[in-house]
Amino acid sequence: MTGLQNSNGLETADRYYAQYGSRAKELKNEGRKVIGYMSALTPVEILTAAGVVPLRLKGFMDEAITKGDAYMETIVCPFVRSVFDAAIKGRFSFMDGMVLPHQCDSMDRTSDVWSYNLGLPYWHFLNVPHVTDDPSIEFMKEILRVFIRTLERFTNAKITDEAIGQAIDDHNENRRLMRELYDLRKSNPPLISGVEMMKVLVAAMSLPVSESSALIKNVTEEVKKRKAPADGDRKRIMIIGDQIDSAAIAEAIESAGAWLVVDDLSIGGKIYWPEVDKTADPLQGIAERYLRKLKIATTFVGEGNTYEENLEARFGHLRERITGFKVDGAILFIYKYCDPYGFEVPAMKSYIESAGIPVLYLEDEYSTSTLARVKTRIEAFLEMIA
Amino acid sequence: MAEEKKRRAVATQTAAGIPKFVRGNLAATLKAKEEGKKVAKAFIHDGQDEIMRAMDIVPAWGESFSGICAAKRDAEKYLQKAESDNFSRSLCTYATCHIGFEMIREELGGVMPEGAPWGGMGRPDMILGNGQLLCDPRFKWPQALQHYLRDVPVFVTNMYYPPWDPNIDHHEQEGFYVRYCTEELHETVRFCERVTGKKMDWDRLAAVVELSDRTWDLFVDTYDLRKAIPTPMDTGDAMNTMVPITFNIGTQEAYDFYVELNNELKQKIAQGIGVANPEKYRIIWAAGLPSWFALNDFQYFNSKGAVFPVEVTYRDHEKIEKLDLPKTDDPLEHIAWRWVRYWTHWYDAARKIPGSTPKVARIIEYIGDYKCDGVVFHSAFSCRSWHAGIIHQAEVLRKVYGDIPILIMEGDIVDISSYNEADTHNRIDAFIETLDAYKNKKRN
Ligand code: SF4
Ligand code: SF4
Repeated sequence: MTGLQNSNGLETADRYYAQYGSRAKELKNEGRKVIGYMSALTPVEILTAAGVVPLRLKGFMDEAITKGDAYMETIVCPFVRSVFDAAIKGRFSFMDGMVLPHQCDSMDRTSDVWSYNLGLPYWHFLNVPHVTDDPSIEFMKEILRVFIRTLERFTNAKITDEAIGQAIDDHNENRRLMRELYDLRKSNPPLISGVEMMKVLVAAMSLPVSESSALIKNVTEEVKKRKAPADGDRKRIMIIGDQIDSAAIAEAIESAGAWLVVDDLSIGGKIYWPEVDKTADPLQGIAERYLRKLKIATTFVGEGNTYEENLEARFGHLRERITGFKVDGAILFIYKYCDPYGFEVPAMKSYIESAGIPVLYLEDEYSTSTLARVKTRIEAFLEMIA
Repeated sequence: MAEEKKRRAVATQTAAGIPKFVRGNLAATLKAKEEGKKVAKAFIHDGQDEIMRAMDIVPAWGESFSGICAAKRDAEKYLQKAESDNFSRSLCTYATCHIGFEMIREELGGVMPEGAPWGGMGRPDMILGNGQLLCDPRFKWPQALQHYLRDVPVFVTNMYYPPWDPNIDHHEQEGFYVRYCTEELHETVRFCERVTGKKMDWDRLAAVVELSDRTWDLFVDTYDLRKAIPTPMDTGDAMNTMVPITFNIGTQEAYDFYVELNNELKQKIAQGIGVANPEKYRIIWAAGLPSWFALNDFQYFNSKGAVFPVEVTYRDHEKIEKLDLPKTDDPLEHIAWRWVRYWTHWYDAARKIPGSTPKVARIIEYIGDYKCDGVVFHSAFSCRSWHAGIIHQAEVLRKVYGDIPILIMEGDIVDISSYNEADTHNRIDAFIETLDAYKNKKRN
């Protein structure tokens, strides 16, 4: 544990946001093993149970891709390219290994590029299925067992069911704490800004679960003591997308005169709502959370009797957020070359609009260099819904 | 695969019969209604072909439809239609072209849009997708399409194979992968039974699967004839002759087609007739779907004495005996084994070449078997599935195989906007010069 208890939560979040991975690096220097992982689909409980330091990998929007393009095609999603570029430049050189889950083509089809060029002591491609029926749950459990075996071999230590059970508890607790912090955004105006929240979300995913929980608690206590700012007239915006992990986008929204009050992002709302159920075989609960409860575009949901039922199953949680956080408008922020999210834009847009909420769809690169254009579109959107 | 504005000359007579196949497949979807058959929007290379054939379900191939639109250089209106409802231009253009077409038809109340290529494609009664490793559009395209065809049920199966990892024994994993694929195929059957209201005839399925196996073998034997020097057929033709095995597997017509092709190739070999005269350079088409609107580029290569005796694209088959499939009475389990082993048997090859990957091991095997002097990849921007990772393949190939000229061409499958014929020809010219220097160096 760090001396976090005595520190200012938001300040700490800010520091970990600005120096991403610095805590993992410290822990590495203390003799721990650090495993980087991509996306919301990596069952972080298992990494925690293995006793390693899990570090969710992020990209760096304000850094141009200078090395990665020599290895990876530009038709790959720009977020993945940014992370890879950072990795190949040595930004995560303290990592002992990495897990790449089968999220999308941009990850799956570049698996060899990562493993070969990074040459890490530990590497695992986790073959998560896209379909969520019963055989898929059984299959997911099989691939989790393979994953566990590779980790055990790497760490030279058994990963017991008890350890997994404890990790499940710790991560569920972490999720509850983060949801409590989200609750502080329900007031008008919210007690914590979207920019601050983004930094907390990013900082939290760079820490071992106990430290992440301590940080969230600190932030929550600090924010609760705040007096609500006076400006309650701003529009309340929700952002939807995959890995948006830069405060720059929240900044673009809030500097245009709105509050970013909630998100459905894979580093935020998407991962903090669903918990893992406690099941006799802990892998059952994990398989169900990652396949059935996570609402990400790369799992296929379509078993309903009607199209409308399918839409509810896919996007019903968005309606809950819209109501719960009193959202006035939604921004779909989708990266170029992202087939999973790109193909859902018309359906998702019309679903949200049918709830009476206007939607701005933005397709963009993963780069701050294009944000001026994005900001202009956001301003126009805010004017339109004013 | 289809006819273009200006038809490319085909080196084999048999390939000239392909447009008939493609038209036939489209026509079947239109005729299905009169015959009381159901139409399924389906994907190639998804393991569901034999189920459809055995149940008299008529496949409507979206990829083929979009390929035809591209070859006719008539895809833009459909792409724009999809774009008008916020489908990005960076998404798979096979998908957006087809979705755009269906959007227009729905707006017309189900009437076939005017000018639809070759009479268009029938409206599906069901949509079959696949969440396999191969590509995201295989499950997102069905879902996106249902947004416009709300009454049409969608079923997405999952056909996974073990990922390549030199540190994990893939044979240990094959069992549970096959079990999963088999269960998923059974789910597909149950879904098709619900939609068609008919039960699967398992004997018929077994016969269809057996016919497929024979077609696989015949296809591989036939393509192996291209090892001859000069090669009697190159990739320009293979982008046509892949149609029966890709779209009509499990049918007698497909089998008969390869009998005919086999005979013709043998005849050409006996007479010493090659694609290029004289044949100066042999190149492998190492990855990538072609630009359907620019198949003439193959002829441009040929005009320089360069031929492609072999390609990786659409050659998704291997001799059944090489795959060493365990015996089973369940035809679906057989399909599953065939599928999984098709991928993993290259893993064994890769392990024998330290530092290699299965894709590269395959290229190396083909370079040797087909006596190639150079390697061409095509990187199509709208499909990550086959085209992300090409730089890496080229890099690994250089490292483990050594010095061989490599060209990576960039373009698209459907979207013509990024194509420039003059530039492409210039790049080909430069590559031919490299090939020439390489051959001279090898000779000395
Ligand atoms: S943004 Fe899309 S393409 Fe990129 S990692 Fe996420 S799901 Fe994959
Ligand atoms: S393989 Fe490529 S072209 Fe074919 S459907 Fe998938 S993304 Fe599209």
